Amino acid sequence: MILKVCVGSSCHLKGSYDVIDKFKSLIESEKLGDKIDLRACFCLNRCSDGVAVKADDTYILNVNGQNAEEKFRNEILPLLG
Amino acid sequence: MNYFIDNGYTSLNKKGEELCGDRVECRTNGDYLTAVLCDGMGSGVKANILATLSSKILCTMLSAGVPLRDCIETLIASLPVCKVRNVAYATFSVCHIKRDGTGELLEFDNPGAILLRDGDALDFSRTKTEICGKTVYITELALKENDAIVITSDGVEHAGIGMLMNFGWERNQIKDYLRRSVKRGMSARSISATLAGECNELYMNEPGDDTTVLAVKVKKPEPTAVFVGPPMHKSDDKAYVAEFMALPGKKVVCGGTSSQIVARELGKEVTTSFDFPDRDVPPIGYIDGIDLTTEGVITIRRVLELSERYLDPWDVGGKSFTKRDGATLLSKLLFEDSTELEFFVGQSVNEAHKGLPIETTMKLKLIDKLAENLKKMGKSVKIRYY
Repeated sequence: MILKVCVGSSCHLKGSYDVIDKFKSLIESEKLGDKIDLRACFCLNRCSDGVAVKADDTYILNVNGQNAEEKFRNEILPLLG
Repeated sequence: MNYFIDNGYTSLNKKGEELCGDRVECRTNGDYLTAVLCDGMGSGVKANILATLSSKILCTMLSAGVPLRDCIETLIASLPVCKVRNVAYATFSVCHIKRDGTGELLEFDNPGAILLRDGDALDFSRTKTEICGKTVYITELALKENDAIVITSDGVEHAGIGMLMNFGWERNQIKDYLRRSVKRGMSARSISATLAGECNELYMNEPGDDTTVLAVKVKKPEPTAVFVGPPMHKSDDKAYVAEFMALPGKKVVCGGTSSQIVARELGKEVTTSFDFPDRDVPPIGYIDGIDLTTEGVITIRRVLELSERYLDPWDVGGKSFTKRDGATLLSKLLFEDSTELEFFVGQSVNEAHKGLPIETTMKLKLIDKLAENLKKMGKSVKIRYY
């Protein structure tokens, strides 16, 4: 799975850095490095609902440093199938 | 060939003084740049007044083409006489140079200027002349691309006296330092800050004298075009990107949406770096064929801050760009490497940015201020809105 985190202006202000940090450590602790390819990207055109994250073709919106783990477990992991 | 005559200076104030007794004045008149460094007698207010008067008079008159003899007569008649020493006195070095690299160097009582050429640091072969009872050294200049002239006040030679150096910093050591430390691509400002920074080290952060380094460098013109912000009308994307790409020189794209527009029109992909060398600046991106891709308004705000530091002659540390974040990379490209800039500014409004400190009006203001600062660096700047 390609997991993209938006680092455009708006999402950056809403905490992209923290989200990436959380995802990085979750991928490491869950040993998912070979299943998830974490990337940054510019503007996913969901500026109002940032931080915007895209897991392959699915948008996961309103992510932030606090809810990143919850979103990761409840919304992203199930997509791995 | 018409070169870009880059100039910049850095000053250290004598410890405890609010005012510098050295003064630099630069003026461009047609194809000529006139750059003057004066060192006023003493320190503090008195020295500052002497140096300010002298540098203003010399720079204004010489840049207007008045002969040196008349300038010096005016100078002697104008300077207020010091009650303590009963003389009026300020030294001067003048570089009067045309865009083709020819001109003259006039020196009175300052340390002799140093020529940086092909990695070496050399003396000028000066001709001694008497003008109004003053010994002035004159050099005919014929500079070539990447040559730089380093003009200093005597605070450089006095660096470290009685502290780290018995006799101060000797001329040969200064030249050795310049040979070692000045890299080929460095701007005039960066050269001046490097040498002044070393003086500050030798003085152990407590300069015993006002210290000023003025550098003048002959550079090949380097144009850069910056695409920032999506056009107001989507239907214009194609035409503007084509116009942007047709310009000569380096290309920069700032902004998430802008980078997607440019990439799409070029038939390329944007990839985004994953590194945060500075967590306050969003990571950079890559587009094949574009020299630098960054986020937009947050990066530009930081670049504006860096430009203030770059322009401040008393900020020794603000002239080197070693960090790898988007704002530092963009600053280096704009301040150090480019001489002519053209901004393509899109005025499309991103609704999601309303109320945040990244909205479009904010961005336009930041670009205006940045353009002002780039002009202060001597660069030509064009802005097109669309």
